Amino acid sequence: MSVIQVTDLKKSYGGIHALSGCSMTFEDKAINGLIGPNGSGKTTLFNVITGYETADSGQVSLRGQDITNAKPDEVFEQGIGRTFQITRIFPRLTVLENVHVAAQRQGFVAQARGWDSAAERERAMEVLEFVGLARLAPEIAGDLSYGQQKLLEFAFITMARPSVILLDEPAGGVNPSLLRHISDRIRALNSEGVTFIIVEHDMEFVMRLCDQVLVMHQGSALTSGPPEQVRSDPAVLEAYLGTGPKEGS
Amino acid sequence: MLILQAIIDGILIGGFYALMAAGLTLVFGVMEIVNFAQGILVVLGAYLSYALYSHLHIDPFLGLLITLPAMFLVGVVIYWTMIKPIRRDRVIMSLLTMFAVGTVIEGILDLIFTSNLVQTTTSYVNSSVQIGSLIFPEIYLYSFAMAVVLLSALYWLLYRTKFGRNLRAAMQNPTAARMVGIDIDRISAFTLGIGVSLAAAGGMVFGSTNSFDAASSYDLISRLLAIVIFGGFGSLSGALVASIVMLVIEDVVAVVWSPTWGQTTFYLVLILVLLVRPQGLFGRTAVRAQ
Repeated sequence: MSVIQVTDLKKSYGGIHALSGCSMTFEDKAINGLIGPNGSGKTTLFNVITGYETADSGQVSLRGQDITNAKPDEVFEQGIGRTFQITRIFPRLTVLENVHVAAQRQGFVAQARGWDSAAERERAMEVLEFVGLARLAPEIAGDLSYGQQKLLEFAFITMARPSVILLDEPAGGVNPSLLRHISDRIRALNSEGVTFIIVEHDMEFVMRLCDQVLVMHQGSALTSGPPEQVRSDPAVLEAYLGTGPKEGS
Repeated sequence: MLILQAIIDGILIGGFYALMAAGLTLVFGVMEIVNFAQGILVVLGAYLSYALYSHLHIDPFLGLLITLPAMFLVGVVIYWTMIKPIRRDRVIMSLLTMFAVGTVIEGILDLIFTSNLVQTTTSYVNSSVQIGSLIFPEIYLYSFAMAVVLLSALYWLLYRTKFGRNLRAAMQNPTAARMVGIDIDRISAFTLGIGVSLAAAGGMVFGSTNSFDAASSYDLISRLLAIVIFGGFGSLSGALVASIVMLVIEDVVAVVWSPTWGQTTFYLVLILVLLVRPQGLFGRTAVRAQ
């Protein structure tokens, strides 16, 4: 069953076609890997799905519901959370405050109430515990190491209990031990029914973690399938080596 | 004793300048817009208080119950009709838009009130409290108290509510704020509303202590920009400290040297501070993380 479906998505910047009729389907409750050479349109696709960029044409749907060109906060309200290549946190808030800020899906009335309830504080600490940052809760987020900031970003995305999480290069600049920790957390959330779509250049990480791998090339879908099938697909190798896809592949 | 009196005057007057500057720096912090209309919005606030007092005999401080919500709405309307529709080069276009908004408001005020100078002259404008040889003008005492109340309320909103936490988050990283579902448009509209309300509160005092017309906004905006640059763009505490420092310097120099040199000295201090700290007293070198 599909959770996010993109159909004939197009997005251009001047004469550059970042997405040129991209159509693909991401499986529900699975860990979907999205790979492709640099400039193949992966991050643009993420940006269009999450409302940071508007599509020139085409459609994005979430469980059959059209969310094309919805604003980022509306996409988040629908249960889609995302991270960026470069970690985006609130550097002058504490670690705990960062996680609390992410509790936006409670709605406006809850926000107009005074401070956080005991249940909210408990949930925030639970999330920090989950990623291993509980002891750093009172620290200023900007003082954390790069890897810890990655974990924090992951934590505050999970705070609002999204059903789909899009991770843009979670392994970038992260040491192997922390990477294992991140993989574990992804698997743990996935076992609770959270769908992941992961853009990543670390092929070992993708092949080890993902249930399905989708490949992009020159702004559109090249192929998809289980990791071992994609790994041995000649069209994928050609795309990465720069010789271009075979005709009809 | 004259110097002590000048310091006290500087602190008291600095209080209401802090209100106006806080509005300017708050809007910059959230929206990255230098609100060039802040000067004329202060004058608009001053005219509203003047009109309520001269036509309906409503005390200017009591009149804030009307002018603050009205000016809040003005800010929200400016955001939704002028700023939000901007699609390209948002920062530069917003800056020009606010400049245009200011010019239009100035023209309308000139039409309604003409260019004759006016002042909201309540019974307590010329009254003062004397303690020993020190004189405390009542209007400045009341306005300082009002500034403390309004700035405390702003502090409470920013640091003691979830909305304020969201607003601070949006100030630090708007992209991340969107990422976790914060509606930046709603936050921005609310922030501009608050900024314009604070301008109105400052304007009420400005109009009670100075003769003014629409053109008074030019001197005001240059002073407010100097304060905000001195304190550090986007820094609320910087705006508060810089307002008081500016007014104290002006008043002390006026007493010990000459009133002509009061403002000039402040600008000299500003230049010296910027040579050492280009980001201002409380500014950060990198305001935005990404």
